[in-house]
Amino acid sequence: MSHVDEGTLHAYLDGELPSSERAALEEHLAQCTTCRAALADERALRERASALLGSARPIERSAPPLEQLRRSAQARRSPWYVRRSFAWAASIALALGAGYLLRSPTGEVAAPGSQQPSSVGPTIVATTRAPTAPPPEQKPTAPAQRRTTPRVPRVPAELGRASEKAAPPADVVAAALPSREASNAAPAPDSVAQQRLKDTRLEAVVVRGSAAPARPEASVFVDGATVQPVTAKSWAVIDRRLAKSLLGQEPVGIPALAVRSFRRGPGRDGTIVVEQALDSATVIQIFQRPASTSLNDAAERQRADHFGRFIGRLRVEIAGPVSADSLNRLLEQVEPLP
Amino acid sequence: MDDIAEVYRNTYPALVRFLYRKVWDAERAEDLAQEAFARALVHRPEKTRGWLFVVAANMARDEARRAAREKRHLTLLKSEPDAVHTVPEDQIDADTQQTRVRAALDQLTPRDREALLLWDAGMSYDEIAAQTGLARGAIGTTLARARRRLVEAYDAGQEGGQHVARG
Repeated sequence: MSHVDEGTLHAYLDGELPSSERAALEEHLAQCTTCRAALADERALRERASALLGSARPIERSAPPLEQLRRSAQARRSPWYVRRSFAWAASIALALGAGYLLRSPTGEVAAPGSQQPSSVGPTIVATTRAPTAPPPEQKPTAPAQRRTTPRVPRVPAELGRASEKAAPPADVVAAALPSREASNAAPAPDSVAQQRLKDTRLEAVVVRGSAAPARPEASVFVDGATVQPVTAKSWAVIDRRLAKSLLGQEPVGIPALAVRSFRRGPGRDGTIVVEQALDSATVIQIFQRPASTSLNDAAERQRADHFGRFIGRLRVEIAGPVSADSLNRLLEQVEPLP
Repeated sequence: MDDIAEVYRNTYPALVRFLYRKVWDAERAEDLAQEAFARALVHRPEKTRGWLFVVAANMARDEARRAAREKRHLTLLKSEPDAVHTVPEDQIDADTQQTRVRAALDQLTPRDREALLLWDAGMSYDEIAAQTGLARGAIGTTLARARRRLVEAYDAGQEGGQHVARG
């Protein structure tokens, strides 16, 4: 047997050499130092290539239930599926964006009863619970409606108007809830933002807001509008050491980008936001909190995955005036800051 | 016919990975993988796994064409190498690493790259042969070449070299 070619060696290493050939090869290797050395070289090469490929892999997320695919199999055959999937993701992002802000420290969503303007304080909204007796002009909303069934179109209507209305303050919560009462308290006819959301451009819409803004600050950003982030501006700026102690670990962000600030959320669940500059005009916000404080529901996690990630023990969400695609890419790069 | 649920369980991550290295967008890769499985549920192919990879490869190709047309915001994420060199050695930016691997993969011929990605996705030589049209006996040689070029191109990129052997 002459020296073995590299293709045969790779097939051997891959366990794909037919058994007859394998026996012959092993016999040859036992006698041929040249081929043994070649085998070692090829083995190293194979491992190196495999490691390189391994370093370029996506974050592994669990597959959705097959049933879900089965149900949507017909719909997915439409060429519009990809578009719609984005719209879907954006809808979830809207709902989550609002839902994220509404957690009280216990992980509960503040009930709409607590949202009438007169009861909203500048810093304690996120900690208020439903009053035992609903105020006369409002009926309580069924708990089952909370967060699990956000009607997305309601969100932009009110968020979009938030900046131009004196009342209601902190209406993010109300907006996220499909509550007739909430909309009575804050009547919001179709706004431009809502109309735009009904169109097919959903993919670029990102909502952000703060858990307890002193003024309504939540905004809708459409398709890369170069609007500076305004939300969480009322959050206190903190230093990195405090951020670390609130999170119980190093804050995460995108290592290649400059950190503008660390801010602390008003709740007691350890939420902070890291603001980083993409360029001089664009700031993204990376919300993060210890993962144990919320989103324990598996289904919610799954939906959340489109715009949020778990990194170590942190739940991380991202917002910024760039497209959904870009946000997702940015999110993939988030890791503990050096 | 294969049990799709079984194939789904075993193959989904590999299919996502395979797609990711073609579209370089994790969410997109997941969407496409799910789409491929959704189609498999409708078509009930004979050999589900191989079929899935064929469909996925086609979708990725369409996707790449579309992405090329829509290349807008995304370039902003190719961070400048200078900024990255300031990062400590042991914290090499994962994205930069990925970008280098991607660039190295781009140096391979389409056929070599396909064989390599399929192998890495867990396909056997027989399956790779069926998918690529290569003779089974040529797969080892193809993979040997693909691996060598990947490593060489990666190392050349590391040194900042522009010249990568092609042959």
